[in-house]
Amino acid sequence: MRRFALVPGVLALLPEYAGLSDPVLDLRLACLDAVRWLGSSGDGVVVVGDAQGSRVGEALLSAGGGSTGAQAQSAFAARPPAVLVVGNGSARRSEKAPGHLDERSFAFDDALRAALVSGDASWTDDGLGEALLASVDGIHRLFGLLPAGTEAQVDYDDDPYGVQYWVMRWEVG
Amino acid sequence: MTLKLGRHHFPDDATLMMAIVNRTPDSFYDKGATWAEDKAFDRVAQVVEQGAEIVDIGGIKAAPGEHIDEDEEKRRVVDFVARVRAAYPSLVISVDTWRASVGRAVCEAGADVLNDAWGGADPGLVDVAAEYDAAIICTHTGGATPRTRPYRVEYDDVVRSAIADTVAYAYRAVAAGVDRRSVVIDPAHDFGKNTFHSLELTHRLGEMVETGWPVLVSLSNKDFVGESLDLPVGSRLTGTLAATAVCALAGARIYRVHEVVETRQTVDMVNTIAGRRMPARAIRGLQ
Repeated sequence: MRRFALVPGVLALLPEYAGLSDPVLDLRLACLDAVRWLGSSGDGVVVVGDAQGSRVGEALLSAGGGSTGAQAQSAFAARPPAVLVVGNGSARRSEKAPGHLDERSFAFDDALRAALVSGDASWTDDGLGEALLASVDGIHRLFGLLPAGTEAQVDYDDDPYGVQYWVMRWEVG
Repeated sequence: MTLKLGRHHFPDDATLMMAIVNRTPDSFYDKGATWAEDKAFDRVAQVVEQGAEIVDIGGIKAAPGEHIDEDEEKRRVVDFVARVRAAYPSLVISVDTWRASVGRAVCEAGADVLNDAWGGADPGLVDVAAEYDAAIICTHTGGATPRTRPYRVEYDDVVRSAIADTVAYAYRAVAAGVDRRSVVIDPAHDFGKNTFHSLELTHRLGEMVETGWPVLVSLSNKDFVGESLDLPVGSRLTGTLAATAVCALAGARIYRVHEVVETRQTVDMVNTIAGRRMPARAIRGLQ
């Protein structure tokens, strides 16, 4: 069994940006559950995403007690490691969103969600991802790794700050 | 250093608001607003609601005025301390007195801290603090007699004088048996000092902090603020908060105040800037 998980690259998840209260508590708990699930497979975990997203992924793995880096690489030599994908949908889903409102966000995120949930590797961002400030580098790579039609378990699906976040898991037999 | 204020303990990064509660008819700021016991009790309820960790109950105004003997001072504060103790078990109760006999009576009634605003004028006060395991505030007055105004007082270096006297007092308290964690030093702005002295102490408060003893500052609406800005009592909040910010940046631990909410916000903001406190909640730009 090979495991994959998707978390968003939310910088507020990093310990250096902690406050007295946690603005992303529900998301954080879902992310930590997902990375622990990845780690519990006994395989190493590799993080897939852009540079900033990878920092978030590494921090979550560290907070969840998981193994990364050299351990993951050595595990990779023996058998394919679990994969932590870091990415998210549009950051233009409301007037107070980081990129202000872009109505195209909703159809974009709906299509991306549907592709993720059903493991539809034919998904393409139609060049909109950059315009909507979506972080899809890791997601493109995920679609290259997931066998077509692998269905996701959705742990989190919300846009509390105008950015579409998902936490999802896939298990491949 | 961890603070032990009577029956209460605070971690070494905690800043504390000490709200002034006057049981006097003539204090400079409130002019008797809480002279009636019920009014004073209402004031305690208000400052607790506002988040004050400590109340500092005083029965004699600092400035010269009608003579208040020990019995009258006790009448003003002892039963009141007992009433506050019963109503607010988790509140730190400080009493502003220089008299050992009054200190003993309020400790019997449940006080946690003896705030010796007159810098050891009664040498027996430290023994009372030790006997009751109370904390003591060691202030610097330059040797001033209680309830006198400074008159042509000068120092070679007021900060060195404040450090020398308060640290000596602190060691005297420890030698008398006061828990080392229960000793606080206070430069005592405006006590035995002119405005230039109080400004110098504010500007160089970090030197007092570097002694390692926790530092209390009592800045609230004082004359050095008024003279700096040419403002009367009642118009000194902004100046008080500016002085508070400077002391907070230097690392003061306890703030003796009239305005709890404003001071707490100022101290929290400064300590957040200084990296000693996390923002309450940060998400902007981090989504």
